[in-house]
Amino acid sequence: MKLLREVIAWGLFAVVVGVLSVWPRYEMVDADDAIVSVTFSHAGKRVGECRTLSQEELNKLPPNMRKPSECPRERHPVRVELRSGNDVLYADQLAPSGIWSDGKANAYRRVVVQSGIHELFIGMNDSGKENGFDYETTARVDIVPGRNVVIRFDQQSQNFLIL
Amino acid sequence: MIERVHSLGRGAFELLRRPLSRAFDSEQNPLNYLGALTIYFCWIVLISGIWLLIFFRTSVSTAFESVEYLTHEQWYLGGVMRSLHRYASDALIITILLHVIKEFVFNRYRLNRWFNWVTGIPLVWMIFPLGISGYWLVWDELALYVAISSAELLDWVPIFTDSMAGNFMSDDVLSDRFFTLMAFLHLIGLPIFLVFGIWLHVFRLNGPRINPPRRMMAATLLCMLVLSAIYPAVSHEKADLAMTTQGLRFDWFYLHVYPLIQAWSPGWVWTLLVGISVLLTIAPWAPPARKTTVAVVDLDNCNGCKRCVDDCPFGAVEMVPRTDGTSYSHQAAVDESLCISCGICVGACPTATPFRSRSALVPGIDVPNRSAADIRQDIIDQAESPAGEPRVMVFACRDDRQTEAIRKAGANVVTVRCMAHLQPSFLDFVLSRNHADGVLLLGCEDGNCNYRLGADWMEARIARERDPRLRKRTDTSKIGMAWKTPLSDISGPARKLDAFREALRRGEGEA
Repeated sequence: MKLLREVIAWGLFAVVVGVLSVWPRYEMVDADDAIVSVTFSHAGKRVGECRTLSQEELNKLPPNMRKPSECPRERHPVRVELRSGNDVLYADQLAPSGIWSDGKANAYRRVVVQSGIHELFIGMNDSGKENGFDYETTARVDIVPGRNVVIRFDQQSQNFLIL
Repeated sequence: MIERVHSLGRGAFELLRRPLSRAFDSEQNPLNYLGALTIYFCWIVLISGIWLLIFFRTSVSTAFESVEYLTHEQWYLGGVMRSLHRYASDALIITILLHVIKEFVFNRYRLNRWFNWVTGIPLVWMIFPLGISGYWLVWDELALYVAISSAELLDWVPIFTDSMAGNFMSDDVLSDRFFTLMAFLHLIGLPIFLVFGIWLHVFRLNGPRINPPRRMMAATLLCMLVLSAIYPAVSHEKADLAMTTQGLRFDWFYLHVYPLIQAWSPGWVWTLLVGISVLLTIAPWAPPARKTTVAVVDLDNCNGCKRCVDDCPFGAVEMVPRTDGTSYSHQAAVDESLCISCGICVGACPTATPFRSRSALVPGIDVPNRSAADIRQDIIDQAESPAGEPRVMVFACRDDRQTEAIRKAGANVVTVRCMAHLQPSFLDFVLSRNHADGVLLLGCEDGNCNYRLGADWMEARIARERDPRLRKRTDTSKIGMAWKTPLSDISGPARKLDAFREALRRGEGEA
């Protein structure tokens, strides 16, 4: 009898372990939904113009530090906006990284959307102007359920890629 | 307030303890070996993991296939090992959780036990990344979800310049280096820290229970094997970065916090995790517990025999060179920062015998708040007004409702700090001086000794296997231990007393 109770106790333990290791299932998005992911790193333009140093100024510098121009370190924040038709899915102003605000700004956002045809617009402003975008792309995308549409900024072509 | 929380917690813990007490002898009850079981599960995870490692390929393109090979082609061994690896990892989360709850509700984390409590918290912080990184390595849909969510969580911490999560968005940016890092953490880095952490967690204890009894080990392994055979662990579909993950078979033991990353935000999840950790860390001092008096050494009666050192469950007594000029080489010394005044050292001291008549009963080591002389006097006083027939002298290790219940049920009760606080000659003293017809030791139930080793030492002393041994002339059939079968099978102290009395009447008490 005692042995039977032991077997039952260990059996219940196994059931708890077995069940909670797979159940209940987790649905991150509904079956009809999909995700649009925006992910890129991009450095905003510098907040001031670079200045060319005069020969006299260069001469005052140690030989190993004689750069022809002097630029402010700080960069503009990067403003990004993602729209589907007229719906704004994601809009943010991303601060440059680094304690001198001289690094890249990192954009990362995953937005759940309904599957179907979307007129996607992605725009980015890296020059600090208040209106309009320095880079923008529009695409008509048929998003199937469960799809992960990735939007990246290609530094070589200086354009957005919708994958 | 905190005592109320402990009391409520003990009540809730009883709901689990009671049915398990009916199913298991105290020696086989998993609730008495939660720490040891956790370590045993770690062994299962380690050994099964070594087998998996032999066949595992550490790259994005081959990891999934190598795990699939193990699961399906080599199901008879690799598949079983994978399932064992998975289920033992899950099972140890249950034992850790119960271990933490038990130590908390039985108030075994404050005063000088704070060190074991606090050093346990980093272990939990190591166990979870260890388990989670294991899911990552399979590189199926669940792995992709775990990778992205973990990266989102880490990205919130302002120490990375680039977004880590962005690396899991498309195949062209995903590199094997992430796998190498994860494999290093899962296979080498975290396990090394974990082993060191476990050592730190227990090294201050005397005779820590590292291993459960062999029978329990066999039963545990069998349990995991049967589960692995009936319901083998399998992968989801291979990770596809172009698709989102849906309908995941979720391991809630390790991933329970992950849905919160999406539902709240990584920042709030960090706040939750760090907040819980901080609360647990400060728990031993919130509120500060009242410091008890510690054991005191009397050099006139200490001959440096070292038995107190051997028996102290917390390593609070050590031998130091003699300071009083006598011919003994060493003397006992108590570390106040470790002593919790359990009195087990007194029970180990050969001089703590109540038969001493020429001099006052001052043992070589004693606890001032319940001295050996007090206990002897209490026995003599109690014996003057015997309660019930046959006369039973009950030694109880705490003065609570259960002790009161047995007092009301008709027995003379003498309280001690712990069962092993009693030097065995006290049992001889009660019986040979006819202070009672029998002795019932009402120790902590189910062998769940509040001071870890009290029941074990007392059993060994009565069985004459450990010094100081019970004298041969003492009839052990007149000594009952409430935590041992058959008395442990009987619920309630009053019913235990009745059963013991009945056995005494029949002349077949037990020890």
